[in-house]
Amino acid sequence: MNTIIQLVISGLLIGSIYALMSIGLTLIFGVLRVVNFAHGEFLMIAMYGAWAFSKLLGLNPYIAAIAVVPAMFLFGALVYRLVIGSALEKPHLVVVFATMGLSIFLQNAALMAMTADLHDVPPIFGRSISVGHVFIKGELLLGFVITLACTIALRWVIKYTFLGKAIRATVQDGEAAKLMGIAVPKIFLITFAAGSALVGLAACVMLPLFSVFPTVGLNFVLIAFVIVVLGGMGSIEGALLGGFCVGVVQSVGSYYVAPAFGQLFFFVLFLLVMIFRSNGLFGQKGAATLGMNE
Amino acid sequence: MPQRGQISWFEIVLFTSCVIWVAFGFAPALQDVVVLSFLFAGLALAWNIAGGCAGLISFGHAAFFGIGAYTSTILFQSHGITPWLGIFAGAAAAAIGGAVLSLICARLKGPFFILSSLAFAEVVRIIALNWSSVTGGAEGLSIPPVPDVANMVLGSKPAYEALTLIYLILAYAIMRWLEASRFGFYLFAVRDNDDAAAAAGINPLMVRSSAMALSAALTGVGGTLFAQYFLYLDPTYVISPELSFQFALLPAVGGLGTAIGPILGSFLITPLSELLRANLGNAAAGLHLVIYSAGLIVVMLYFPSGIAGALEKLKSRKPRP
Amino acid sequence: MSALLEVQGVSRTFGATRAVDNVSFAVQPGELLGLIGPNGAGKSTLFNLIAGVMPPSGGKIVVDGADVTGWKSYDMARAGVARTFQIPKPYRQLSVIENVMISAFLRERSMAGARDLADVTLSDLGLAPYRDRPASELTVGLLKRLEVARALAMRPKLVLFDEIMAGLTPTEVGAMTEIVAGLPAKGITVIWVEHVLYAIMKTATRMVVINRGSVIAQGAPAEVARDPAVVKAYLGEEMQLA
Repeated sequence: MNTIIQLVISGLLIGSIYALMSIGLTLIFGVLRVVNFAHGEFLMIAMYGAWAFSKLLGLNPYIAAIAVVPAMFLFGALVYRLVIGSALEKPHLVVVFATMGLSIFLQNAALMAMTADLHDVPPIFGRSISVGHVFIKGELLLGFVITLACTIALRWVIKYTFLGKAIRATVQDGEAAKLMGIAVPKIFLITFAAGSALVGLAACVMLPLFSVFPTVGLNFVLIAFVIVVLGGMGSIEGALLGGFCVGVVQSVGSYYVAPAFGQLFFFVLFLLVMIFRSNGLFGQKGAATLGMNE
Repeated sequence: MPQRGQISWFEIVLFTSCVIWVAFGFAPALQDVVVLSFLFAGLALAWNIAGGCAGLISFGHAAFFGIGAYTSTILFQSHGITPWLGIFAGAAAAAIGGAVLSLICARLKGPFFILSSLAFAEVVRIIALNWSSVTGGAEGLSIPPVPDVANMVLGSKPAYEALTLIYLILAYAIMRWLEASRFGFYLFAVRDNDDAAAAAGINPLMVRSSAMALSAALTGVGGTLFAQYFLYLDPTYVISPELSFQFALLPAVGGLGTAIGPILGSFLITPLSELLRANLGNAAAGLHLVIYSAGLIVVMLYFPSGIAGALEKLKSRKPRP
Repeated sequence: MSALLEVQGVSRTFGATRAVDNVSFAVQPGELLGLIGPNGAGKSTLFNLIAGVMPPSGGKIVVDGADVTGWKSYDMARAGVARTFQIPKPYRQLSVIENVMISAFLRERSMAGARDLADVTLSDLGLAPYRDRPASELTVGLLKRLEVARALAMRPKLVLFDEIMAGLTPTEVGAMTEIVAGLPAKGITVIWVEHVLYAIMKTATRMVVINRGSVIAQGAPAEVARDPAVVKAYLGEEMQLA
């Protein structure tokens, strides 16, 4: 019994961190209606950035967020300007292939610059905190707290600020938003950059837990996709809950069956969701059929 | 408007050149590249049936490639069945896989479909990696490199050139047949507007499943040929997202939905990537892929209809008498 | 003569909203039935129910004596019911003739047969000059005519027109009205949902008026125009009944 509780709690915590990494992806999809296939590589770049910052200045990755998050914002804006922006008016395929190409580009650029060696930071917290019979790693708990804070902050921005309203207007009807004087391309740019900044934050939280290497993005991008689909494309709360599901499934699955099968389980989970509830748990109805024929 | 169903002079010249090239055994140093170019051209055409014609952009086609390759190889190594027969079993198994993917994705379009195809391929890859008793697990499967024509282990590279050229011609013929048949038109209809297609009496799910099954089967055939050429199956390559990406990339660059596009895509990119890998692969790990992917992004942004589309535009700009 | 189409007590609810509420009417072969009503009356929903886009929440739909309730759109098409889309849905990457051929394949299985049927349909609708142009190049007016061409190429028993006049110039409206008016003579029964009232009042043999999901009047156009319930339903809206 204790084992299950431990597994579930660990799963929820790691799941929240997975969710943090996925919120950017779901936000970008909700507003721009594109899937950034290079999302994992954005995470990888940010993790390298956080690592470099830690190494150079001797600070821990959480502090590094002060530099990494704005840097990722700018990086996202740059990528939008160079690649995404002009791909948006073209057939849907172009964005898919462009972001896939970007993914390969970034992976190999990192390979050239940093070699395939794994890099990580020393553990920040000493022993795990124990609550009753359950042991919780400090890094996981802090990540969980940061994720919750972030989600609440985002909700507040979207609901109460002008930017948030402009974003919601753009999501509901881009044409009408333009007519109302909202600079839709600017909203797209800001959203894409913000999504990238969120990935930067996730990277700082993940570096204490995972090593970074050029292809680390591949592992996480599929997890991010599963979470985003489960939670419903465009739903921030959905991403959080999706993250919890995935975290718990992986935690429990890896323990009772081999770790590789832990991965298998959540791909199967993904496919099952696609068959039965393709709008995710919280997504908009019809979200699953958006795409080609629009 | 590209003339559907009409074979151009360019294509006739291209194929004749290929046949002559193979028959006379030109350029022995390039034979590996030629085999791969023909093979990937056929694979690109196979992907195109689902992706270009039916609008099913799949990034999981390596699963079908792997299913075909593993099926024929397992039948050969464990049951002594010649790959000349095993190739059909592989195609059938891959077709079933394609139908399954289609059913899973029955109500999905756009990015959801793409992601599901990715997940599907990952499931297949993990099974291949872990079901060691059948698939050899991470060590893969190998075929003894002993020339044995009865078991599709051809002794010479020109022989493989011929074999893969036949595959290419077969794939091309199927594509041309699609363009000139009711079934093919149903694919285009479902791709362009499946509400309208349903209103016209077409069952979109049936059409999509059939297209995917056909595409998967043809991809599976390519898998068997690959296995018989390289004589070794490594699951991390054979069922990888990178390979799936390749299958989609070649038609996209060459021109989706056309018969000549995937072929042009393969003939351009396959030698190019081999060239880059050979010359720059040693200079710095990954440089060739950096160049390759940067080039890809540029091509996609400026030539969305691919090479075939660009050529069409050039043609229609010529002044008419 | 038994009715070609019978709608019996059909309803459709979306959550708490009853978009279509216990609607019943019949259409005889050779009729040109006009289906009108103010905005939000439920005409489109009713239309989509008959076309098989969604199943009714209650009631029955019968075509030529066969119960087709809940049939999907492609089955309805095969049963001889064709429809147009209010916002045209052409196959953008195909040419005009190829667009029509797709529909023609329902009745002509061979490429040559479908092509011939498509050619005839195109010339009947004055679209022959645009035969080989990509559908993506056509104007709205031409696209609406293409919608009609695709429906007619299916050699339907019953054709459902969904606001085919919207966005057309007066000349185009005149031309389209002539085409529609000529269909019963060719053995094609028509149900026509329309908002441009003057066109439909001239051509329809019978009208059904819907408001708030229910039938509020049925009968000849002149009667219906005078019906106080109908006038009331349209009150506040611009009327061109003459």
